[in-house]
Amino acid sequence: MELNARIPSGPLAEKWDNHKFSAKLVNPANRRKFKVIVVGTGLAGAAASATLAEQGYKVSTFCIHDSPRRAHSIAAQGGINAAKNYQTDGDSVFRLFYDTIKGGDFRAREANVYRLAQVSNNIIDQCVAQGVPFAREYGGSLANRSFGGAQVSRTFYARGQTGQQLLLGAYSALSRQIHNGGVTMFNRREMMDLVVIDGQARGIITRNLINGNLESHWADAVLLCTGGYGNVYFLSTNAMASNVTAAWRAYKHGAGFANPSFVQIHPTCIPVHGDYQSKLTLMSESLRNDGRVWVPKNKGDKRKPADIPEEERDYYLENKYPSFGNLVPRDVASRNAKEQCDQGKGVGSTGLAVYLDFADAIKRDGEETILRKYGNLFQMYEKITDSSPLEEPMTIYPAVHYTMGGLWVDYNLMTTIPGLFALGECNFSDHGANRLGASALMQGLADGYFVIPTAIGNYFGESSIAPVNDSDEAFINAQQQVGDRLNKLLQNSSGGVGGKVTVDEIHKELGRLLWDNCGMARNKEGLEMALKKLPEIRQKFWDKVYIPGSGSDLNQTLERAGRVADFLEFGEIMIHDALNRAESCGCHLREESQTEENEAKRDDENYSYVSVWEYQGDDVEPKMHKEDLTFEYVTPSQRSYK
Amino acid sequence: MSNIDLTLQIWRQKNSDALGKLETYTLDKISTDMSFLEMLDVLNEKLTMEGIEPVAFDHDCREGICGMCGAVINGVAHGPEKETTLCQLHMRHFKTGDVLVIEPFRSRAFPIKKDLVVDRSAFDKIIQAGGYVSVNTGGTPDGNAIPISSHIAELAMDAAACIGCGACVASCPNGAAMLFTSAKISQLCLLPQGHAERKKRALSMVETMDKEGFGNCTNLRECEAVCPKSISIRNIARLNREFVRAAFSEG
Amino acid sequence: MWLLRFSTSSIGKKILMASSGLLLILFLVAHAAGNAAIFFGSNAFQTYADTLHSLPVVVFVFGVGLFAVLIVHIFIGIQLFLQNRKETASRYAVSTKVCENTLASSTMPYTGLLLLLFLLVHVFGFGVNPTDTKVSVLVVNLLGNFFYGLFYLFSFCVLAVHLSHGFWSMLQTFGFNHPRYNDGIMKITYIVPGFFLVFFGAITLYFMTGLGANY
Ligand SMILES: Cc1cc2nc3c(=O)[nH]c(=O)nc-3n(C[C@H](O)[C@H](O)[C@H](O)COP(=O)(O)OP(=O)(O)OC[C@H]3O[C@@H](n4cnc5c(N)ncnc54)[C@H](O)[C@@H]3O)c2cc1C
Ligand code: HEM
Ligand code: HEM
Ligand code: SF4
Ligand code: F3S
Ligand code: FES
Repeated sequence: MELNARIPSGPLAEKWDNHKFSAKLVNPANRRKFKVIVVGTGLAGAAASATLAEQGYKVSTFCIHDSPRRAHSIAAQGGINAAKNYQTDGDSVFRLFYDTIKGGDFRAREANVYRLAQVSNNIIDQCVAQGVPFAREYGGSLANRSFGGAQVSRTFYARGQTGQQLLLGAYSALSRQIHNGGVTMFNRREMMDLVVIDGQARGIITRNLINGNLESHWADAVLLCTGGYGNVYFLSTNAMASNVTAAWRAYKHGAGFANPSFVQIHPTCIPVHGDYQSKLTLMSESLRNDGRVWVPKNKGDKRKPADIPEEERDYYLENKYPSFGNLVPRDVASRNAKEQCDQGKGVGSTGLAVYLDFADAIKRDGEETILRKYGNLFQMYEKITDSSPLEEPMTIYPAVHYTMGGLWVDYNLMTTIPGLFALGECNFSDHGANRLGASALMQGLADGYFVIPTAIGNYFGESSIAPVNDSDEAFINAQQQVGDRLNKLLQNSSGGVGGKVTVDEIHKELGRLLWDNCGMARNKEGLEMALKKLPEIRQKFWDKVYIPGSGSDLNQTLERAGRVADFLEFGEIMIHDALNRAESCGCHLREESQTEENEAKRDDENYSYVSVWEYQGDDVEPKMHKEDLTFEYVTPSQRSYK
Repeated sequence: MSNIDLTLQIWRQKNSDALGKLETYTLDKISTDMSFLEMLDVLNEKLTMEGIEPVAFDHDCREGICGMCGAVINGVAHGPEKETTLCQLHMRHFKTGDVLVIEPFRSRAFPIKKDLVVDRSAFDKIIQAGGYVSVNTGGTPDGNAIPISSHIAELAMDAAACIGCGACVASCPNGAAMLFTSAKISQLCLLPQGHAERKKRALSMVETMDKEGFGNCTNLRECEAVCPKSISIRNIARLNREFVRAAFSEG
Repeated sequence: MWLLRFSTSSIGKKILMASSGLLLILFLVAHAAGNAAIFFGSNAFQTYADTLHSLPVVVFVFGVGLFAVLIVHIFIGIQLFLQNRKETASRYAVSTKVCENTLASSTMPYTGLLLLLFLLVHVFGFGVNPTDTKVSVLVVNLLGNFFYGLFYLFSFCVLAVHLSHGFWSMLQTFGFNHPRYNDGIMKITYIVPGFFLVFFGAITLYFMTGLGANY
C-alpha cells in the first residue's frame, strides 16, 4: 500500500491556492458525462452532492433514512468554528490552524488543517447565503461564542441546534438539485458493498430497506460520507444508524484505515441508568463553566448529595489542576471521572457517575442568571432524569462521542483506492488524536462544499476511466456476495440450532469489551485480552444470532445485524491499533505512558505518524503502514493543564 | 425509580398493501426511567426471543432532533407530554395498568410501510419545490454583508426549528401539512436572503403541498398543540399572507 | 388562469372562505343596523323597509351580491367538509383532541348547514313573501309564534358558535396573528358573536314574550 499524501508544494499558506490552480479541470460541458455516487447525507454528503450537481456532474445520493435531512449531523449542538475574527480578538487563519493542530495533539497533517482553517470563512458565508439563521447581535452582525481549546471567540451558532441548521441548509441545497434533476436521491438505501473494477472504485451495492431488494449502481467515482463509527461501543452519543459498514467494506477492498483507535470521549453526558439503555445523551460542555465536579471522599458513600458535608467532598479536578479546574480539556475531564468511579467513589444507582454541582454558582449569581445561561439544558436533563439541577447536583459521566480515525485519505480526500473518496467524519484527516469542539461541522462542510469539487475535477482530469455498467460481472458477483452474506445472517432465523442470542446482546457485549479495554485508558494487557476475546464474541454472533423475519422485507433486526457483523470485525483493528500505539496521546491514555504526575505522555520520537491498516484476508492479521508526520510550521509541545 | 406493568396495543401491518390490525402485548417491570423507544426495544427483544417479528418503528437520534421517530399514543401524536418527541418521552408519565394504544402517523400523504413506519417523503417534495435559497456554492458575500436584526434572526430560528417529524399532519383532522410548510416558508421570507424568490417559493411549495395529497387547513390548531418544537400557527398566518401576496402579483 | 388556480389551491379556498365570511359578517352588521329600526316602533321599521324597497336596483344588486357570497361560502364550505372528512374518517382507533375550542371549530360545517336551514326559513318567511303583508306586521306574526321564535333563538346560538371560531379563524386566514394583538383578537372573537346573539335574540324575545304584541 502506497501512502502518498500528495501535499502540494509551496509555503503552507499558499498550498491550497497552488493546488487549486494546478489541479486538472473538467470543462463544464463534459461534466455531465461523469457520474458520482455519494453515500450518506450528513453535512459532508449533502454538501458534496449539492455542489457537484451545481457544477454539472450527475450525482446519485444514498441515505439510510426516509429523508436526507435526518442524517446524524443534525444532532450537533454547540457550533461551528471559523477564523472570521469578527470579534477582533486576535483570531486568524493561522491561529485556528494552530489551535486545531495543537488540539489534535500533533497527530494531524499541517497542510490539511491549514486548508480547513482557510476554508472555514467561506463556509460561514455560504451558510448565511443559504438562510441558516445564525445567532445575531442586536446590531445585526453575526454573534460568536467561545468554546473549549481556544482563547478567542470564533464559534458561530444557531441556538443549541447548530448542526440541525447547517444540515438543513445543506439539505435545502441538495433538495434544489434534486428538483433540478442534478441529483437522483435514493432514500432508505444502505450501502452494502463497494465495487472495484480495474483498481478503481466504480460503484456500490445497496439494499432497499423497504423491500429488501439488492441494487447495483455504477459511477465514475464514489464518495463515502458515512460518518463515524462511535457506535462500535454500542452506547455512544451517535445516532442509532451510524455505523462503520461503508468504510469497512472499502477497507476490505483495499482502502487503508487510519488511526482506528482514536476515539473521543465526551466528559459531560447523562450517565447510563440501566441495561436497557440504547444511547447516551450529551450535555453541553459549557456547563463546566459554572458547575463544580465532585465525588464523595469515602468510597461507596450512598448518602444523598445534600447530606454529604463540604469536607467529605472531593473536588478532584480543582484539586488536581488548580489553574484550569473544572475547565480542563475533554480528555482530562473524562479520564479523571472514570478514575474516580473505578476507585469506587462514583455516585448514582450504578456508581458510574460524578456530580456536577451548581449550588455555588446559584448562590453566587442567583437562580435567574444560571437559568438564563443553562435553562434549556436543565430542562432537557430534568426531562430525561426527572431530577432538577437546581435542587440536586447533576450527575454526569463520559461517553463515546466522536471518532477521529477513519479511512486514510490524501490531500484530495482520496483513499488508497483510486476513485474512492472519504469526506467528513468518515475520513481521518484533520483532527489528529483529538478533535476540538465545533470543528467537526467545519470539516464536514469544508470537505463537501469546497474541497471535493477541486479533488473530483482533478481525478477525472488525470485518470482514464473505462465505461462500465450495472450489469457487468463485477456488479453481479458483488450483489451475489452481499446476498449470500445476508442469507448467512438469516440462517438461524428458523429459531434453529445453537440457541438464540439477539443482535443487541452481542452488540452490548462487544461494546463493553471495547469500553473497558480500548476506551479512554488502555494498557497492553487489557488490549491483548480483548484481542483474544473478540473472536469468541464474533463466533457466538455467527453461531447463535437470531433474526426474525425475512430479507425481502423491511427488517430492522437484519439491518442492525449487518452493521454489528462489521463492527465485530472492525473492533479488531481498533485493538491492534491501540496496542501498537504505546504512547498516550490526544483522547486516550496509554497507562504505560504517563508522567510522574500520572498525566498523559506523548511520545513524538516513536509515534509521530499516522498508523494505516491494510486488509490482508479474513483470518490474517492486518498490516500496518506509517505515514510520517512532519511539522514545519508548528513545534509540537507537550500539553499541560496543571 | 420504579417499575410499571403495561398493556400495549400496537398497530401491526406487514407492508403497504397488507391490512393491519391492533395486536395486544403485555410488558411487565418497565423501569420508569426508560424512554418510550427503550420500552419498545425491550418489547422487541422479548418478541424476538419468542420468535415473533419485532415491531418496526423509525428512530435515529433519540434526542428529539432528527424527526425520525413518532407514533400516535392513545390518540396523541408523540404521546401525552407537550413539546416532546416520542424518543424523549419517558415511561414515568405512565402508571401500572395503563393500556397504551400505539398507532402509526396516519395521513393520505404518509403511506404506512410497516407497523409504525410511514413514508414521509412527501415532505421532501415540498422542500424540493422551493424550500431553499437558490445560491450555488462559492461566490457568496461576507456573512456580515447584510445585517439581520437579532429579533428577526430569532423569529426565523423559531420557524427553522421544525424537525420534519410529521406529527402536525398526523394530528391535523384534515391531514394538512400547513404547519410544516409554513415553518420553512416563514424562515426564508423573514430573512433577507430569501426575499428574491419569496413569491415563486410560496406558490410552488403550496402547489406541491396540495398535489402530494395533504388536506386543507381549517385552523383547527391541533398541529400546534402536538408539535414537539412548538412551531406556532403564527407561521401559518404568515404563509397565508405570503401566498396571497404572491398569487395576486405573480403567476 | 391564475384566479382559477388560486381558488382551487388549498390556501386560496381558505381565503375565499374567509373573505365570504367577512362579507357575511358585514352584511349581518348592516342587517342589524337596519333591524335596529324595530326598536323605534313599527312605523320607523316600516319606513325603513319601504325606503329599501323604493330602491329596487340597490336591493337587487345587494341581493345578488349577497347570494353570490353565500354560494361561494357554502359551496367551498361543503367542498372542504367533504374533502376533509375523507381524511378524518376513523383514522385512529383512539382519537384525542389536544386543543381547546374544539366544539366550535370541529362543527363548522354542521353549524354552517344549520345556518343555511335558518336562512332558507328566514328568507322564505321574510324576503320572498307572496302575501302582501307589511313587514312590520309579518315580524309580529312570525316571531310571535313561540316555536318559530324558538327556532330563531336556537339559530342565533348556532350563529354565535359558528362565529366564535369563525371570526378568529377568518383573521388567522387573512394573516393576522401577532402575539401583541392575539389577546385582543381573542376578546373580539367572543364579543362579535356575543353581540349578534344578544341583538338578534333581543328582537326575537321582544316579540316572543309578547312585549311587542301590539307592535
Ligand atoms: C451529540 C453530538 C453533538 C455534536 N456537536 C458538535 C458540535 O457542536 N460541533 C461540531 O463541530 N461537531 C459536533 N459533533 C460532531 C459532528 O456532528 C459530526 O462529526 C459530523 O456531523 C459528521 O458529519 P458527516 O457528514 O461526516 O457524517 P454524518 O452526519 O454522521 O452522516 C453520515 C450519514 O451516513 C449514513 N450512513 C452510514 N453508513 C451508511 C451506509 N452504509 N449506507 C448509507 N448511508 C450510510 C448515516 O446514517 C449518516 O446519516 C457532535 C456530535 C454528536 C454526536
Ligand atoms: C330577529 C332577527 C332578524 C330579523 C327581525 C330579520 C328581519 C329581516 C327582514 C325583515 C328581512 C327582509 C328584508 C327585506 O327584504 O325587506 C330580512 C332579510 C334577510 N335576512 Fe334577516 N332578520 C333577522 C336576522 C337575520 C339573521 C341572523 C340572518 C343571517 C344569518 C339574516 C339574514 C337575512 C337574509 C340573508 C335576508 C335576505 C336579504 C335580501 O334578500 O336582501 N337575518 N331579514
Ligand atoms: C350568515 C351566515 C354566516 C356567517 C356570518 C359565516 C361566517 C363564517 C366565517 C367568518 C367563517 C370563518 C372563515 C375562515 O375560517 O377563515 C366561516 C367558516 C365556515 N362557514 Fe360560515 N358563515 C355563515 C354561514 C355559513 C353557512 C350557511 C354555511 C353552510 C355550509 C357555512 C359553513 C362554513 C364552514 C364549513 C366554515 C369553515 C371553513 C373554514 O374554517 O375554512 N357558513 N363562516
Ligand atoms: S411543524 Fe412541528 S410537528 Fe410539524 S413536522 Fe415540524 S416539528 Fe414536526
Ligand atoms: S391542525 Fe390542521 S387545520 Fe390547520 S391549524 Fe393545524 S393544519
Ligand atoms: S429519534 Fe430523532 S427525534 Fe426521535
